[in-house]
Amino acid sequence: MDRRSFIKLTAISGTGAALASCGAPENEIIRFVPDEDIMPGIATMKPSVCTLCASGCGLTVRMMMADADVVRDGQSGLVRIHAAKKLEGSADHPVNHGGLCARGQAAIQVTYHPDRITQPLKRTGDRGQGQYDAISWDDAIAELVSRLDMLASASNQKSLAFLSRGRRGHRAALIDRFLAAYGAPGAITHELFNDDVVRRANALSFGRDQLPAFDLPNARYVVSFGADFLGTWNSPTAQGYGYGLMRQGRTGIRGMFVQVESRMSQTGANADQWIPVKPGTEGVLALGLANVIMTAKLRPASAGGRAGTLIAGWSSGLTDFAPEQVEQITGVTAARVERLARELVETSPSVAMIGGSPLAHTNGLFNALAVNALNALLGSVEQRGGLFFTPQINLTAAAKGLAGRASAPSSLDRAAAAILDGSFVPQVLLLDGANPVFTSPKGWGVREALTKIPYIASFGSFLDETAALSDLILPDHSFLEGWTEALPESGSMIAVASVAPAAMMPLHQTRATPDVLLDVGRRLAKPLNLPWENFEALLTETFSALPTTSTFDTWTDAQEKGGWWGMLPPALATAAAPAAQTKPLAFSEPRFDGDAGQYPLHFLPYASSAFLDGSLAHLPWLQEMPDPLTSAMWSSWIEINTATAAKLGIREGDIVEVASSQGALRTSAIVSPGIAPDVVAMPVGQGHQRFTRYATGRGENPLELLAPLADSETGNLAWAATRVRITRVGDPDGRLILFAGGSREEQDRGR
Amino acid sequence: MPKWGMAVDLDRCDGCSACVTACHAENNISTVGADQAARGRAKHWIRVERYWEGEFPDVRLKFRPVMCQHCENAPCEPVCPTYASHHTEDGLNAQVYNRCIGTRYCANACPYNVRFFDFFNPSWDKPLHLQLNPDVSLREVGVMEKCTFCVQRIKAATIQAKAEERKVADGEIKPACAQACPARALVFGDLDDPESAVSRLSRSSRGSKLLEDRGTEPAVTYLSRQS
Repeated sequence: MDRRSFIKLTAISGTGAALASCGAPENEIIRFVPDEDIMPGIATMKPSVCTLCASGCGLTVRMMMADADVVRDGQSGLVRIHAAKKLEGSADHPVNHGGLCARGQAAIQVTYHPDRITQPLKRTGDRGQGQYDAISWDDAIAELVSRLDMLASASNQKSLAFLSRGRRGHRAALIDRFLAAYGAPGAITHELFNDDVVRRANALSFGRDQLPAFDLPNARYVVSFGADFLGTWNSPTAQGYGYGLMRQGRTGIRGMFVQVESRMSQTGANADQWIPVKPGTEGVLALGLANVIMTAKLRPASAGGRAGTLIAGWSSGLTDFAPEQVEQITGVTAARVERLARELVETSPSVAMIGGSPLAHTNGLFNALAVNALNALLGSVEQRGGLFFTPQINLTAAAKGLAGRASAPSSLDRAAAAILDGSFVPQVLLLDGANPVFTSPKGWGVREALTKIPYIASFGSFLDETAALSDLILPDHSFLEGWTEALPESGSMIAVASVAPAAMMPLHQTRATPDVLLDVGRRLAKPLNLPWENFEALLTETFSALPTTSTFDTWTDAQEKGGWWGMLPPALATAAAPAAQTKPLAFSEPRFDGDAGQYPLHFLPYASSAFLDGSLAHLPWLQEMPDPLTSAMWSSWIEINTATAAKLGIREGDIVEVASSQGALRTSAIVSPGIAPDVVAMPVGQGHQRFTRYATGRGENPLELLAPLADSETGNLAWAATRVRITRVGDPDGRLILFAGGSREEQDRGR
Repeated sequence: MPKWGMAVDLDRCDGCSACVTACHAENNISTVGADQAARGRAKHWIRVERYWEGEFPDVRLKFRPVMCQHCENAPCEPVCPTYASHHTEDGLNAQVYNRCIGTRYCANACPYNVRFFDFFNPSWDKPLHLQLNPDVSLREVGVMEKCTFCVQRIKAATIQAKAEERKVADGEIKPACAQACPARALVFGDLDDPESAVSRLSRSSRGSKLLEDRGTEPAVTYLSRQS
């Protein structure tokens, strides 16, 4: 007799009399609610599109009834609404295939966030204090209109600036068209982890100004240079799906995976081989692999094609990158370079990818071009198991009204510099989605620059560091409350446009920003010539232009499915456009801010699993989600190599001061074997001065230490090029909160 | 009668933690905040454990998602004085919240550390409460809670199948964690059906049970990572 049977028997004998009439007493004892009495709630499922990152994953929203305190037509009261209850990945969507990342799961908390801005606000206190009075939508729009009319009557339309994250899609296209029609320059864009270096490299090497997609399910060998492609980079859910199939989706074939990086990322933890390299030398390793392949005549140099010609010394076999020299520069042994190169060729199809910190050095473009050339040499471009470019819809071809665009987007650092030196100060700034006061290095002077702009209006839903500088707030709907859309730049082999109508009624007195812009355009003294009544009209126009894939018309079908995907007619596709040939690029040593003697450690900020660039730090589920590599919750920390920590007398949890030439901060130490001895790493996302009750004043912002270095070719921020020093300043003070350890999970690292 | 179980392919799992948040979203698990989390009171019915091996540069890290193992021979059940922790005939290790008197004997007995005690009444800053799933009961102070294999989803699918006079199809039921998993590392289903995906995976030569030597006979099989 086993234990359970024994327990059951004693239980039965104890209560046997009471249950004598029951047929199967051992069942009856533990019955709680009979099946017949369970009434699962009736849910309806609606499509939606996640907008927390640029991937454009399709959602299925589980909707049920709920009683909500809402304001309708100025009256507040308890109303039974159809409320979103759970976000699930849309099963058929070509990007996420039914999966949904942790951030996407938490996206529902954006809609229900207690600190959302619920109605238009007008500033009353000083800028940055966050004191506002409620005003009506009519007054708010009238105020913005009068500001724009004032500019127009002074023929100063070019002094209107728009600051956004610069994502692709209908919203960005409409904003661009609005600016062009008004006579303003194109938007200023800022995204900290923006991948512009990869886009530029792909435009040069392959004529595609976009992020690549990877055919992981058919790949047999993947080498990733710094790309956290299973965590935070590019299209993580699409790549996670592909990764599962690459490992276990084929009988008898298991794809191999090598990660090259100096701090083990969540992605790197899954690698078969994890290869640390000196920061900024990733491109050298890629060329070392190419050298071995060419020298051993496994593939001819000519296979490099156009991508090869962009690398100095390519056609002569990259003689400067023999394995021994590569070992000198990168720290990866010559034997390992040889072996890796042979494995890449012998285990085809193979593919290389680059993302994250290798691009964020002063030689970022070189690193990207080197990996592109390696891919071309391996024959992995647009080939099964290799690298692809998701066909992109040409919106201007689909919606004629979008013709006539504003000038190309400008970068925030240049815009801020122009404001600070007085050469160009916008008179009105519209702010949509970006929070550059938090996500840019102090050296750019973004906060100082923004305060010089006389008038700022924000469309954001939350009062963050940047929005707090605004004079007027016109809060947007959440993505569940209005039209939501995305044009995924990657993550799919076929063209895809995600779109969905509102899943639920707005909870608050908010309005969809695209509709507000169209409304403002109509109300100007000289109305703008924008042909759409509202955002829906633009979406209707572009989606109706796409070929139908079912018995319904395209637009009806897209709304039902949450998007359109399929074969894109050439007339609607963005054509490949080779960027002007530049002279071949040679390796240049990465430059770092801070003297190596005074600041001996490389400082590596990285996109945190929970918060990416910090824009999601306001969601409590993500704050309490244990970090995959450390199990830390609600915290900031800095990762230090085990031996380095021992040398500096630092133990886990100790408070350390991290100092760069730009400033210093104090945070908790996590001692880790998964990081190079001369590198320290800190997740980005915490350290908000103002960002809702959950994130304000919590942790530290590593970006405050960044020197404003840039990639020498593209001018993109080199956020991995700062050096720091670390000093122990105190014992653990309880600010580092780990889920593991103690009674939970044995953790014995670095002690 | 089905016997519910799960297979976790550690060769697919990449540690992304989508399952952790999905579980919160589905099961009305309240966040406790920084101060209570620091006291070890955060509740994660599923967690991703990490195992470091070696020292730099030859260092490895392996992830393992751990949830209630729904043991056939569950150590948490016989210690419960009120039968709040009990076994259902379809193989679930169930917890009846309003029978639980909070002795926490079950948490002591559980070798997997997957049971969580509610140290206070849950609260949601309004209107976060509008997200709560009406199919899942809220747990009050003094109650033990843990992974249920999303019993509400099992019930809903079973009732639906019964109404349509058919059997529950393999793959029809997906707990929130398995549904969210981008890499399809988590597979749920009926272990009593030898042809179900979970049965086939559970028979894999890569398979093993967590702390097998404890004799708990878990319903969760881990398929080892291949590198």
